[in-house]
Order: sequence, then structure tokens, then C-alpha cells
Amino acid sequence: MEERQTFWDKMQEKGYTRRDFLKFCAWIGAASGLQASSIGSLVHAMETKPRPPVLWFHFQECTCCSESFVRSSHPIVADVVLDHISLDYTETLQAAAGHQAEEARRHTMEKYKGQYLMLVEGSIPTAANGVYCCIGGHTALDIVKEAAAGAAAIVAWGNCAYAGCVQGAKPNPTQATPIRDIIKGKPIVNVPGCPPIPEVMAGTIVHYLAFGRLPQLDSQGRPKAFYSRRVHDTCYRRPNYDAGLFVETFDDENARKGYCLYKVGCRGPVTYNACAVTKWNEATSFPIQSGHGCIGCSEAGNWDNAPLYEHLPGVLGYTSETDADTVGMVAAGITTAALGVHALTANARKRKQIRKQIEESPGGK
Amino acid sequence: MEQKGPSRVTFYVWQLPVRLFHWINALCIVLLIITGYLIGNPVALQNSQEAHMGHWFGTVRLIHFAAAYVFLFAWIYRIIYAFMGNQYARWTNYLPLSQKQWDEFKDVIAIDIFMMVEERKIHSPGHNSVACLSYLFLGLASVFQIASGFGLLAPMSEWWIADLFTWIVPMMDGDTNVRFWHHLMMWFFVIFTMVHVYIVAFHDYVEARGTTSSMIGGWKFVEEKDLQK
Amino acid sequence: MANRIVVDPVTRIEGHLRIEAEVKDGKIVEAYSSGTMVRGLEIILKGRDPRDAWAITERVCGVCTTVHALASIRAVEDALKIKIPPSAELVRNLMFCAQYMQDHVVHFYHLHALDWVDVVSALSANPAETSKIARSISPWPKSSPKYFGAIQDRVKKFVASGQLGIFSNAYWGHPAYKLPPEINLLGVAHYLEALEWQKEIVKIHAIFGGKNPHPNYVVGGMPCSINIEEVNSINIERLSHVKSLLQEAKTFVEQVYIPDVLAVAPYYTDWAAIGGGLSNYLSFGDLPTNGYNDPLSFKFPRGIILDRNLNEVVEFDVNKVEEYIARSWYTYGTGDNKGKHPWEGETNLNYTGPQPPYEFLNVEGKYSWLKTPRWDGKPMEVGPLARMLVGYVSGREEFQEVVNGALAKLNVPATVLFSTLGRTAARALETQLVSNWSFEFFDQLMANIKNGETRMFNNEKWDPTTWPATAKGVGLTEAPRGALSHYINIKNQRIDNYQLVVPSTWNASPKDPQGQRSAYEEALVGTPVANIEQPLEIIRTIHSFDPCLACAVHLYDENGSYVHQLNTF
Repeated sequence: MEERQTFWDKMQEKGYTRRDFLKFCAWIGAASGLQASSIGSLVHAMETKPRPPVLWFHFQECTCCSESFVRSSHPIVADVVLDHISLDYTETLQAAAGHQAEEARRHTMEKYKGQYLMLVEGSIPTAANGVYCCIGGHTALDIVKEAAAGAAAIVAWGNCAYAGCVQGAKPNPTQATPIRDIIKGKPIVNVPGCPPIPEVMAGTIVHYLAFGRLPQLDSQGRPKAFYSRRVHDTCYRRPNYDAGLFVETFDDENARKGYCLYKVGCRGPVTYNACAVTKWNEATSFPIQSGHGCIGCSEAGNWDNAPLYEHLPGVLGYTSETDADTVGMVAAGITTAALGVHALTANARKRKQIRKQIEESPGGK
Repeated sequence: MEQKGPSRVTFYVWQLPVRLFHWINALCIVLLIITGYLIGNPVALQNSQEAHMGHWFGTVRLIHFAAAYVFLFAWIYRIIYAFMGNQYARWTNYLPLSQKQWDEFKDVIAIDIFMMVEERKIHSPGHNSVACLSYLFLGLASVFQIASGFGLLAPMSEWWIADLFTWIVPMMDGDTNVRFWHHLMMWFFVIFTMVHVYIVAFHDYVEARGTTSSMIGGWKFVEEKDLQK
Repeated sequence: MANRIVVDPVTRIEGHLRIEAEVKDGKIVEAYSSGTMVRGLEIILKGRDPRDAWAITERVCGVCTTVHALASIRAVEDALKIKIPPSAELVRNLMFCAQYMQDHVVHFYHLHALDWVDVVSALSANPAETSKIARSISPWPKSSPKYFGAIQDRVKKFVASGQLGIFSNAYWGHPAYKLPPEINLLGVAHYLEALEWQKEIVKIHAIFGGKNPHPNYVVGGMPCSINIEEVNSINIERLSHVKSLLQEAKTFVEQVYIPDVLAVAPYYTDWAAIGGGLSNYLSFGDLPTNGYNDPLSFKFPRGIILDRNLNEVVEFDVNKVEEYIARSWYTYGTGDNKGKHPWEGETNLNYTGPQPPYEFLNVEGKYSWLKTPRWDGKPMEVGPLARMLVGYVSGREEFQEVVNGALAKLNVPATVLFSTLGRTAARALETQLVSNWSFEFFDQLMANIKNGETRMFNNEKWDPTTWPATAKGVGLTEAPRGALSHYINIKNQRIDNYQLVVPSTWNASPKDPQGQRSAYEEALVGTPVANIEQPLEIIRTIHSFDPCLACAVHLYDENGSYVHQLNTF
């Protein structure tokens, strides 16, 4: 069996110095929130670990996760794919097609049973025995179960694999199902977002490679490093929120000053993601910086929390015509009317009783 | 000629801790409703102030959170007192478990809500059982508001109290749903307050038993002949 | 007896595509193209706020991100008669251009190039020779022998590691690979460079739309405000960033992409006679310069070419579009053999294919989740070739210049355009045009800002209470893969019906009731297959269309609601 090369071997071959290598390790350590004292173990890991096999599956998705992944700027994707991992199956990028592609996948699944990393992009349709998504004549449901059985760990990319995304929105006609609802008993890292931030995706992989274990996860199985803070609490426009300075409508005077987008439906207050810190496309911008509220794309059920431009969802679904306050005001109105009727009736029906009491009272008559 | 009114029995119904709780709770609810509504629908203030110079919305939120803590502790205090107070403050009043309570329930509906019977007899000088049931709902709604509110606050709070409620967010499928129901439930308190204040005034007006003042002084006055033996 | 070959999954595309082909005497005699995944987005859209539709439909596709958002907001704006401010139109155009340049380059290098470039052969190249070739075709600075040597070393080490990753199990060494090792090495080098560059150009989306993939739009304009006196807005720093990204893009397209296409093409001239397929071409046109309601102002003109007649552009009439389901896994209440206009779209999901796992589809019956659109009963090819042909035949000078220039360089007649190679070349040539136009849009935007025309959003019809009780609209655009249309029907402030007819539905659909093939199938028939175990030729032709299946497969209203004729078009 051929030797698998280590990171350090690869870097040497690419002409990097030991100093470069250590710097790289330090960067990854910092990116992953590692303390300086642990960098040593990371360096050791990079020197001795061979390239782990990785299979990337596509089911009910739009490929935005793959597209996002290739936008990663640190590390750049060419380095990830050529040097860090052995990406043995990915419908979007691999050279092989048809049964040769499937063969490559099966080869890895057999040879590296229990060792390969399984990356899943997309949800799994479970309605109609799974015929709503077939690859190579097999249903996505069968493929995901078979592949998960031999995987060391699973990474669920994007909102599709985490929560069903758009196809899982009501009424979910194909019964699009998240990975975590299908696969039990395997470590699953959820990296939600539509798509997730490029560097968050690459960072999740690099964390696994560098430390040989999955990142710490929150109660929803998301890496704490990227999903423990609300967009709102890390947003640079937050002072405007506290000062009560709000954009009332797009491109108004307040919008041109960069006020808070809360009143045009920003989902920052209910969305856990790194957008406001890591930002997008090499920290060029992020949605709020470019004037549109966060749409909460990394939250489960975000598409059903409609409409987009209200920060609270409609009561009768998806539109602004009936929000919680409308319902409350109508109920309060009905209550007022009922109390009014009661008051009038009371004066009529309890008249005798009241009069009698007044008469009986010493000051009455 | 000296007139003599009907003879009345004086009851010390609401002990000081109950009265205190009532008014603290009332104040919290009013504050929470006003600030909560504003947080959901911030007013558009036109000013050219820089963000660092103003903090009115932050203050509104601060009042909301502070009132929420007081509200929480007031309820804890009241629940403890439900095991310590007099017969009118006891927890048994608030759980409609006995047939007696349901009989009273029917009577009260007939007498006070539909006003079909001119019955002046009362079962107890404390809360009637319809009122008790409404307070049970108020209590449950308060528990929900406390849990959902602190659940939402938890990621921004360093204190362990808010962290006690983190479970509700995943249980309700995310912050948006929690916020939505927290906001909708606010209207329960609005409507409760309206009905509560009206009914108290109604009782005072019709029955002359000092219902309103009882929550200040603790005393109620019932005509002897109205008392059920 | 013909041999049936199956390619499933077709990789290096978006979505899930399966090709079955019958090969006889080394040539394909019949082909079947099948989409094997559905999501049901149109059902999901019903009842929602029309202003939200862009975000949901944008998620139809992450490769051609933005195009569905654009079609969607245009459909809503058309229905509600919203006119957007001129600067917002320019920003949309700039995002459109960025999308084209990124998408086409990624398609060429990362999805298509490995059909022509043999990575393994690059190992035996002489880097000095590669350098010489590179310098002869382009002033691109990364062209030293040392540079190519380093790339070659990197690939060598990669191959030597025994883990071929994304390059494993491909058709390396196939006789249909014709490039000399030196050009293969050039291709590999540029594969890696393009991978790095493509993440730069999309920063334009991040600047105006907050992120990429899936930047933000808004019905009535664009969400980003322009305020040149403010740091929290689009100001001169942001605009300069856009400008420099456009310049980098122009350099990359002119010095890498176009020269590479022209360098590779002469080795594959046989592919100028293969994969022509249909003879009808449809383009909706795009890049308005005087508002979306004036198609004559579009940089990409609208129109149809029938029977490869290079003398006439036929006017597109939206009423002549029909979709068939005779060979698709749906049923129509009025019989499966009659077509339906998308506005009357009525469909029930009805899978009648073999139960998985299966080896072959039942191609005699229904065999795809794609419907079959026809214009005036005719199958149409859409995409870069259709756009270039419509522009060329419309007499637009810019189009004629680049097309004639390339034809002259390769010394071939215009008829070679009707081919697999022609499609790939047309994509490169239009990228050149788009790159040129992006500067016009940028300059116009700067001029607008100078004149105080910075409005980005039309607020008039934002409030749903200002809307009529019912409204209908259509949004047409050109996705990188071809003509894209969204049809919306609004009732009581909600989406009553929403339909998408997308590029890959035109191209990848199954046969219609008359047995007419759509573009993929037609293009495959007659294609030689040297080795049925390694059908490289099939994926070459299919990739030349740049398939995008997630877009194509969607399903319609299960209850079959009736949609009235559109009256706003």
C-alpha cells in the first residue's frame, strides 16, 4: 500500500520553509480558536497526518454550498483539494462521470471504511420511497444510509442538510428531510447557512484535519466557533439599534446613513452565524453592510417565518396582512366591545339591586 | 332620624404580602407591555443624533429586562406565599379541583357574566372561582413569558438565571418562533388587564363590598345576609 | 443491435442529470436525457408574499445564483407596474455582468475543460515549451518556464501520492484527448488560476448584494444605498473596489480565457461538426440600457432564429410557449399529449419510472422530472450560442466583430458555430462582450452619481395595500445557461400561482408527444463514441450546454389551478 503524505511533506515539496509551515499552523490555530499553548500539537498533527479521504454528496440542493466552498480565501480551495484532503467524490468538480464516478466512491467507501469524512449537501426526500432524488439509479435515501454507515463523521453542509431549506418549507411536497433526522449514531456537524460562509466551511474541515477531532458543537450540532453568537449581537450597526435609529424603508435617509435594519425585517436578532464578524467573500461585506436585512438563512424554519420584510412572522402564514399585533388589537377590540355591552346590560339588569343598596345605605335617601 | 344600614361583616382578606405582590406585578405587567410593544414596533423618531449619543431603545430594552427580573421574582415570592398565606392566598384556590369550585363557577357565570339571576349570596369573600381560574391562566401565561423571554435573553446574558431557560429555543424551533409567541402572548396580558380592571370596578359598583380598596387595605365588607352559611 | 450506455451521474454540472444513449456502429443513434431530482418549489411559493419570492427562487440554483432572483423581482415589478430607478438598473446590470464572467470562466475551466485537457498528459510536458506557447498567445505574466515547472511538480507530487481525489477514475488517456502535453499543462495551470480568480469577481456581488453565492435583491430596486458622503453606504471606496475587480476580470478574460479557448480549438476542429443538434435558437435578451420595458435597448437582443436562418430574427411571442408532459413524470387533466401554456400550468406528480435501484429507465414511456417546453410547437436551444446568434443576426456590430474576429483567427466559416465547439466558443466570446459592457454600466453609474441620481429603490408600491386585488407578471432574463422566465399571478397580496420555465428545461427536457427531441438529445444523436465504457464524447457535448438541473426540475401546482392570460406583457 502506498504511503499517504503528510501536510509537512506536501509543504516541503511545494517549497515552503519550516517557518512558513509553522506560520500556517499558527493561522489555523487562531482561526479555530485554539490557544497558543496547543499550537505545538497542531504542528505535530500536520507533520504526521496523511490526507484523509473525503466524499461529498449532492442530494436535494442548489450547489450553492459547493460554490461557497470554492470561494474560500484562507485556505484557498485548490490547496484544500490538492493538499489537505483527498476529495474522492464530488459531482460538481470531479473529472470522472457516470459509473466511473460511482466506482471511485465505492472504492473509497470500501478501502477507507470507518475512516472517510462524509460531506452532505442537500436534503433527502423521503416521500414516495425516495424517487424524488435518484443518482445512478439509487435513491438518495439509500445512498446516504449506506455511505453514513462507513463514515468516520458527517458534515451536513448548508440549511438543506441541516433543516431542509426551501424545499423543506411548507408544505414540503417531497418530504425533504435533514440528515440529522435520518442518520443516528454518527457524529454529525451541522454547518448551516444558505450557503454557509466559505471560510466557515473550510475552517470546519481544517479543524477536523488539524486536530483529528470534530469542533465543539452547540445543542443544534453546530460548531460553537461560528454559530454561538447572534448576527445582531455582533453587528456593527448595533449601536443604531440601541439608539433607536432605524431604517424605515429601503434607501430612505436613514438607510443612506447605515441605520439599523430591524424595522425592514432584519433577522439578525434571531440568527446565529458568523456573518457580521467573518463576513463574506474575503470580508468584503455581509448582507446588512450592503443594506438588506439578514434573512436568517442559517436558521431552521427561516423560510416559513415569512414575510421577509417583517421581523415577526405573519399569523396566517407568510404575509404581512395579519401580524401578531393585528390579532392582538382585534382581540382587544372585541374585548372592549364585550365589556361595553356588559356594562350597559349591568346597568339595566342590576339596577334594582344597586338602587336597593343605595336606599338601604344611611346616606342614600 | 338616624339611619342604620345593613349590618356588614368585615373580612381581612388580602394580607400585606399578597397586596404587595399584586401591585408589583401590576406595575411589571404595565411596564413589560409598554416596553415590549415598543421593542416589537419601535417608533420612528426623527433626529439627526449620532448613534453613540443616544440610547433610548437600549433603555427601553433595559427597562423590559429589569421589569422581567422583578416579575420573575415576584412570581416566585407569590408561589411561596401560596403555601404560607391565609385561606384566601392558598394555592388550593387556584386549582379548580373540587366540585365546590365548579358549582361556584356556574353561579358566578350566571350572576356576574350573564346576569340572569339576582343572587347576592357569595361563596367566599376572597376570589370567586372564575377569578381564580383567570389567575391560573395568568400564572401559566406568565410562566410562558418568563421562559420564552429569558430564553431569548440568555445568549446576551452572563447570569445563570437566564441560562435556566435556554431549553425553550430548540424546543420551539428557533428564536423566531419564540419571539413570535412571546409577542403574541403580550396581548393576553393586555386583554387580561382590561377585563380585570373592568370586573373589579363592576363588582364594586354592583355589590358594594369594597373590592377595589381591598387590594390597598386588605379589607372586604359583606352584608351578613349575603353570606352563605 | 444497439448498445445502451448510461451516464449517471453526469458530473461537473449543477444538479442531477442522467443520460441514456443507444450506440450503434460507434455512433449514438438515440439519446434520452433525464432529470432525476425534484423539490417542488412552485407549490411552496403559493400563498407567500410576492416580495419574498426572489429569495426562495434564488435558491433554485447556487451556480447561476442571482439570475432567478432577478427574474423573480422583474416578474413582481411587471405585475405591479413598478419602475425601478436608473441607477438600480445599472447596479443590477453590473451584478449580471459579474455573474456571467464568473460563471462562464468556472464553467470553462472547472466544469468543461477536463473534457478536453488531459491532466495526466500534462506530467510529460516540457515546461519551457509551455512557456513559449503561453507567451505567444497572451501577455499574461504568469508564463515563465519556472512557473509551469512548479505547477507540473505540484501535479506530479499529487499524482505520486496515489490519492487522485477529484481527478481519480476519469477518462485520462482516452484517444479523444488531442492536446499536446504542453497545452495540457497550460490548461492545468489556468485551471488552478481560474479557481483563485473566480472568488474575486464575485466580490462585486458582496459589495452590492452583501454576499455570494445568493446575494440580496429587493422588489423595486436594490437594497444597497449610494451615499458618497457616508462610510456606511456605497461610497467611492466601494465603487473603486468594483472598478478594480472589473479591470482584473477584463484582464483575465482577455489574457487567459479567450486565448485558451482559441489555443485549444484548433486541436478539436472535428468537434465543429459534432453536437450541433437543434436548428432553432431562442434568446430573451437582457442588460437593459433604457429600462426593462424597452427590449430594443437591451445589450443582448431578444429574438428567435429558426432553421439556422442567419438572415432573419423572428420576434418572440410569450403566448406561443407551451409545456408538454407526454414523457415526463406528471399528468395533465386534459390528457398527457396536449401542451399547456405555463400560465395554465396544471400538473400532478406521477412517478411511473422503475422502482430504484434500477439499471435503465423505461425510455419508451415517461423518463424525466423535466417538462418539455416548446415555442410555437418547435424545440429551441437556449444559451450562449443562441444569444450570440441572435445578436449576430440582429446586426449588432459588437457581436459581428467578436464572432467574425474569432472565425477569422481560426479560419473557419460561420456554420461551425452550430456545434459543440461553437457553443463553447460562443460562451467565451460573449464573456468578452459582457466584460466590455460592464465598464459602460460602471461609467454610467458614476455619471449618475455625479449628477445626483443616486436613487436605488422605488417605494411607491412597497406596501401591499397599494396593490390591485389581482395582478400578473412575467420576468424574463438570460441566465448564463440561457433564456429564463418566471410567471407570477398575485391575488389578495399573495402569490396565487408561480411558474418557472428555465434554460435547462428547454435544453435537457425529454421528447415531446410528436417525438421531437430537445437540445441535448438532438445534439447527442450522431456523436461518435469511441469506447462505450468511456463515453467522453457524450459528456463533452452535454457539458457544452452548461447543464443546470436544479433549475430545470421543479413542479407545478398539484391542484392544477387555472391561470388567466397575461395582459401586461
